[in-house]
Amino acid sequence: MRGIVFSDKEDILSQALTFFRQKMEIDAAIYSENPQSSGQYGAKKLFVLQGAGFSDNVSDALLSIIQKENYDFIFITSTALGREVAGIVSDKLGKEIIAEIFDFNIDNSKVKTKRFAWGGKTVAEEESECRIFTVMPGIIEATTVPEKSEVSQIKMNDSKVSLVQTIPKTSSTVDLEHAGIIVSIGRGIGKKEAIDQIMPLVKAVKGELAGSRPVCLDYQWLSEDRQVGLSGRKVKPKLYIALGISGQIQHIAGMRGSKTVIAINKDKMAPIFEEADYGVVGDLFQIVPMIVKALQQ
Amino acid sequence: MIYLPYNIIVLIKQILDIDQMKTNPSTGEPITEGVPMRIENLSKNAIEAAVRIKEKSGGKVTGIIFGGEQSSSAMKEAYAIGVDDGIVIKGYKGKNPSVTAKVLSDKIKTLPYDMVILGNQSADTYTGLLPGKLSSLLNVPLLGNAVSIEPGEKEVKVTRVLEDHNVILKGNFPVIISVSQEINEPRLPAVLQIIKAGKREIKMETASIQDSSSIKVLSDKAPKSERKKEVYEEPEKAIPVLTRVIKEAML
Repeated sequence: MRGIVFSDKEDILSQALTFFRQKMEIDAAIYSENPQSSGQYGAKKLFVLQGAGFSDNVSDALLSIIQKENYDFIFITSTALGREVAGIVSDKLGKEIIAEIFDFNIDNSKVKTKRFAWGGKTVAEEESECRIFTVMPGIIEATTVPEKSEVSQIKMNDSKVSLVQTIPKTSSTVDLEHAGIIVSIGRGIGKKEAIDQIMPLVKAVKGELAGSRPVCLDYQWLSEDRQVGLSGRKVKPKLYIALGISGQIQHIAGMRGSKTVIAINKDKMAPIFEEADYGVVGDLFQIVPMIVKALQQ
Repeated sequence: MIYLPYNIIVLIKQILDIDQMKTNPSTGEPITEGVPMRIENLSKNAIEAAVRIKEKSGGKVTGIIFGGEQSSSAMKEAYAIGVDDGIVIKGYKGKNPSVTAKVLSDKIKTLPYDMVILGNQSADTYTGLLPGKLSSLLNVPLLGNAVSIEPGEKEVKVTRVLEDHNVILKGNFPVIISVSQEINEPRLPAVLQIIKAGKREIKMETASIQDSSSIKVLSDKAPKSERKKEVYEEPEKAIPVLTRVIKEAML
């Protein structure tokens, strides 16, 4: 069995390679400016796609590698570009695809995969003859191997789309991935100014402040690098304190690895209580000062 | 301002209202019976984006839903927001993105368009495959994950959100644009618009397509959470517990 993993994010590629190298002989293709680490995760061959890449020309380059190497399995990591490429590649190959898998096993000629269904409320385990998949980020913790991949550079054709400008996002100074305690806020805090009332708790627990997608992206009460969730940071602190976070699956996917979870929410039915070890139903603006006071005693 | 009437197709997905869906407490299986349908949130962003372009530059917005008989209610909601013409294609059976892409692209090919606008993913399956599949089937470039759309005379500029940076892209018409939820705040239609929309005609069509899938669902259940789930409704009782847990974590 031979397969290939494609990604445009080195960290996600390294996770997927760590997972799939245990299942088959694996190659990798990366579209990333100046990749540093992708050759250290057990891919036999590493194809580095060069040029300004968009969904069309990245797909073309990947398709020509696939045709030449004749892989049994194709895995594309789920990023904005990855999902687009997966749509194009699966259509061009005329092959059925399963999206967003987080588990994969070969069982004779069939494969068994798992993915979240119904907006993350359930896990669907499926058996199929599919050969192409998109893979959720964070499928496994990445570990390096001593052998380095054999690297080849692939020059991409021009895209029908042209780049006008790149807008960098401010580089991150927070390290949520390695934080011991995270205090995370959701829409339930109501307004940006309310963060001032949360900060005494963040200081008292010597934690890092984080937030849900609405808080970081829609309302921009916090910077984007503090977003925990499927499309943000995946964190695994000793303690995760969720304040006014309803617990949409998008968010849970980013904090599921936390050792212990405390949730405070005024809505008794909020799904976050299903993902909490200790939950308090009530007004967080009353409860947070009570905790701070108790910690100081 | 130059008057540039654009032909815009907006693709609308109707889904079960998954926020209202529960799972069976003993088997963990989803209970879909009696759960109402709603327009997928990102489809609302797509409709809003299309209608805003039309309001600014003129033109026409055609909505397409691949769904069933019940999809006419969703199309009426789309009319109330500002969609001009609506086509409902009946025959949606399951979540097979290849089938959906084929049905939609066959329809799109029969219509004039400068832009096809749709959501980048949908809240029920998150596959995000449709924009790419349509781009491949229609042989039209994809400007994906857009948070702003600026159409010009022959081309359109789009700000695309990526994981660690954003880019501004441009492409010549026709294009497919998938939108990210941050692009806009969809309006709530006025009552008068809703009443007017109720009387408007919807083209109902039926897709005939074979869905040949090798995928067999072995199980579909709520994941077991191993959390303690000790929930307190009286904060006074919770404080000593929380304080102990926090102090342990700080060691």
